[in-house]
Amino acid sequence: MTRNESAVRTRRQFLTGVGVVGTTALAGCQSTGDSGSGDGLSGSIDIAGSSTVFPLATAMSEEFRTEHDGVDFNLQSTGTGGGFANHFCPGNTDFNNASRQIREQERQQCADNDVEPVELTVATDALTVIVNNDLDIDSITVEELATIWSAEEQPELWSDVNSDWPDEPLELYGPSDASGTYDYFIESVLHSGDEELSHRQDYSGTEQDRTIIQGVEGSQYAMGYMGFAYYSTNKDRVKALAIDNGDGEPVEPSLETARSGEYQPLSRPLFTYPAKSSLAEEHIAEFARFWVEHSTSEEIVANDVGYVPLSEEAKQEQLDVLETAIEEAQS
Amino acid sequence: MATNNEIEGFGRVSRTAGTLFRYLLLAATLFGLVFVTILLVYVANDAIRPLTADPGWHLTFFLTLVIPTLAAGAYANRRDIAALRTGVFTIGFVVVALMFSGGAAMIFVDIVEPLTWLAFLLALAVPTAVTMAVVSYDHRVSFVAQFVVTVAAFYLSLFGVPGPLGSLAGVSTMVPSLFGFVAGLPFAPAPWLMMAMTFGPPVAYVGSRYVAGDRDRRTHVLVGAGVLAVVLAGGALAPFAGVDPVPGVVVAAVGIAPPLVYAAGTAVNRPTERVGLLVPATVVVGSLVGAVAVDVVGFAGPQSWVDWAFLTSSHSSTAAEAGFYPAIGGSILLMLTVAVLAFPVGIGAAVYLEEYAPNNRFTRIIDVNISNLAGVPSVVYGLLGLGLFVTYLNQPPGTVLLGGATLGLLILPIVIISAREAIRAVPEETRAASYGMGATKWQTVKNVVLPRSFSGILTGTILALGRAIGETAPLIMIGAPNVKYSLPAGLSEAASAMPLQVYAWSSLYAGDDFYQKAVPAGVVVLVAILLAMNSIAIVLRNKYQSTE
Repeated sequence: MTRNESAVRTRRQFLTGVGVVGTTALAGCQSTGDSGSGDGLSGSIDIAGSSTVFPLATAMSEEFRTEHDGVDFNLQSTGTGGGFANHFCPGNTDFNNASRQIREQERQQCADNDVEPVELTVATDALTVIVNNDLDIDSITVEELATIWSAEEQPELWSDVNSDWPDEPLELYGPSDASGTYDYFIESVLHSGDEELSHRQDYSGTEQDRTIIQGVEGSQYAMGYMGFAYYSTNKDRVKALAIDNGDGEPVEPSLETARSGEYQPLSRPLFTYPAKSSLAEEHIAEFARFWVEHSTSEEIVANDVGYVPLSEEAKQEQLDVLETAIEEAQS
Repeated sequence: MATNNEIEGFGRVSRTAGTLFRYLLLAATLFGLVFVTILLVYVANDAIRPLTADPGWHLTFFLTLVIPTLAAGAYANRRDIAALRTGVFTIGFVVVALMFSGGAAMIFVDIVEPLTWLAFLLALAVPTAVTMAVVSYDHRVSFVAQFVVTVAAFYLSLFGVPGPLGSLAGVSTMVPSLFGFVAGLPFAPAPWLMMAMTFGPPVAYVGSRYVAGDRDRRTHVLVGAGVLAVVLAGGALAPFAGVDPVPGVVVAAVGIAPPLVYAAGTAVNRPTERVGLLVPATVVVGSLVGAVAVDVVGFAGPQSWVDWAFLTSSHSSTAAEAGFYPAIGGSILLMLTVAVLAFPVGIGAAVYLEEYAPNNRFTRIIDVNISNLAGVPSVVYGLLGLGLFVTYLNQPPGTVLLGGATLGLLILPIVIISAREAIRAVPEETRAASYGMGATKWQTVKNVVLPRSFSGILTGTILALGRAIGETAPLIMIGAPNVKYSLPAGLSEAASAMPLQVYAWSSLYAGDDFYQKAVPAGVVVLVAILLAMNSIAIVLRNKYQSTE
């Protein structure tokens, strides 16, 4: 082989080497590109967990970004349990949203990874059962409610459920099965007794709360259920039934009874759990503060998302919990 | 004797069965196509809402754009069908090039700083030059010595002394890397000038080669200077259009200069097809005239959901304000990562299997299993990504690198299979001829097989990327975020992606508002980008088949 040929060969080998080294170096290029844009705060916040709290978390993050556009969010809807087990407790997310309290085994899993959850109540989810204003019924027991909506019984007439009620056909309106409200109704009403009933399907299901109100308003023997927030802005058009949780004392739905927990079983608190170690970072602590401070906001919590906002005292309580945790984390 | 009946029936065959069969086949062919087309038309109508435009708006564009274009097309067609083809191709080229320039501009606006980019290129260019010098001027140095010099040059240029090896050992930096030195310079040219410096010369070089061909040096220089002027003008004129100069330069270099070069090349080198350029010219002029006309007269255009705001803003809980920007950027970064990871591995495997592997049972098992891998559901690859990278290797979930690696694994078998087909299509005679000239196997693969199959390999890879860009399940599995407001700043940050964003809108924000506004708009953008990618693949394949 002549010298020239071998030179050509090695040159190609070298060019291959160039390519390999170049590709390796590409990774190094990216990390230098970070620039703290925005006013002061920057960084990203990872949030996973309950799909019920997800819209609230998104609305809060959007609102937060109007003031601090250097902060980015990675929001994921994984369900409460999935969020704790796969994301929060292994230490991959900063917040986990939850539509129930954290379970003992989840707390244990977090503790094994040195993740300490801080419990914050951020809103109340409440359902309202509505009937026409002209219907002469004011309260209902959970058992009756379960009978009306169960696929197993499928009563045709009001009188099938309670002999005091009119001998007229039931006309039912509710959210469609894609809605979280639908799932919550099944969980709190249909699964409240000994047997787990399923939701009947011969009702008018819709994504639009507006349509439910219209349906119930337009027919004297109609019944429907929906999130409390939308009802609260349309109180004149339909009547909300007081709910009797088996103790013979019906409770009217209202902001107060929902917050205090008297309105059972159709209200539940919603939580978010920041990891204490994450609160050491200023932008995460600031967002947690922002969220709790705005948890009383009718505008965001009730109108945009459809939950019951916290009361001033409850907010103050949560804020105290949060500030203590932040102080401990940052010290 | 045979009966009479048999003789009577002889030679008579009913054609009905055959005809029926033929039309059944036609129906089968059109079945899927018709349904997908109906869906896409429906979605596009929801997203673009052409009927919300003023009738005068439609009339104006019909007069300024549609009629002149049809007339120009008919004229070109009468002169030469090849000219019409060139004209239509140029229009497609303009559209695709502008789309890609938008994507490239996105990267330089939000992810890579111009100075970092320049420093990186310089840090690569200098050691490359050193390598070339070492290799071409000193043949007597042994391979090992040359290799050491090259690696040292790259290491010094990119990492400095002692670099990451030193920091592992706890030694602080003594000599800064070229990359660090340039990136840390207190004075630097204006960002758009740096972009023009890095993008202009290569585009100008390729452009002058394409247009001037084997003409004299003067023509080359003139064409190159012209292209460079277009790129510079992009930066200089962008502020007048209300755009930043940096994306202006990128759009000019990637989106405007290449179609111009192509048009110029057609005009200069293919005189018979020159008339075809009338078609793109009519489209461009007609659009501009139409736009000015409706603006002057005051005809309102369609209230499309796919508008500038949709393309440049981020998610919002209000459907009408929701945007696609982080998702588009995330998808672009994911595709770059997938390409970088899957392309070399896939081609390597294909070359081995086609050129080197002995034909034994082991190879046949590999063969069958690669085909099987191509059919494994994407959600399984998602699980693989989650298990391998997140649980086992402890990577943070949902990052660009993780998504790219998972999608890369997903399309790897497709890349291997299509690359093998392209390599197999290289005629055996050319290999034999290469061996006959005394070439080794390695030389034959490098000089004969790979160059001839390259565009085929590229076609297959782009089609595979088209599959990857639409995948949702693996991204959900590895924990990519449903909502994200800005582009990831690096490979190790979480990224959204287009199909994931559409999925999030249609599942988490299920409601008429999102179904009618954000979801169709997202689908239209996703499909448009996919079609642009596939069109590149098709053009490459045609070129590859014609050079066969």
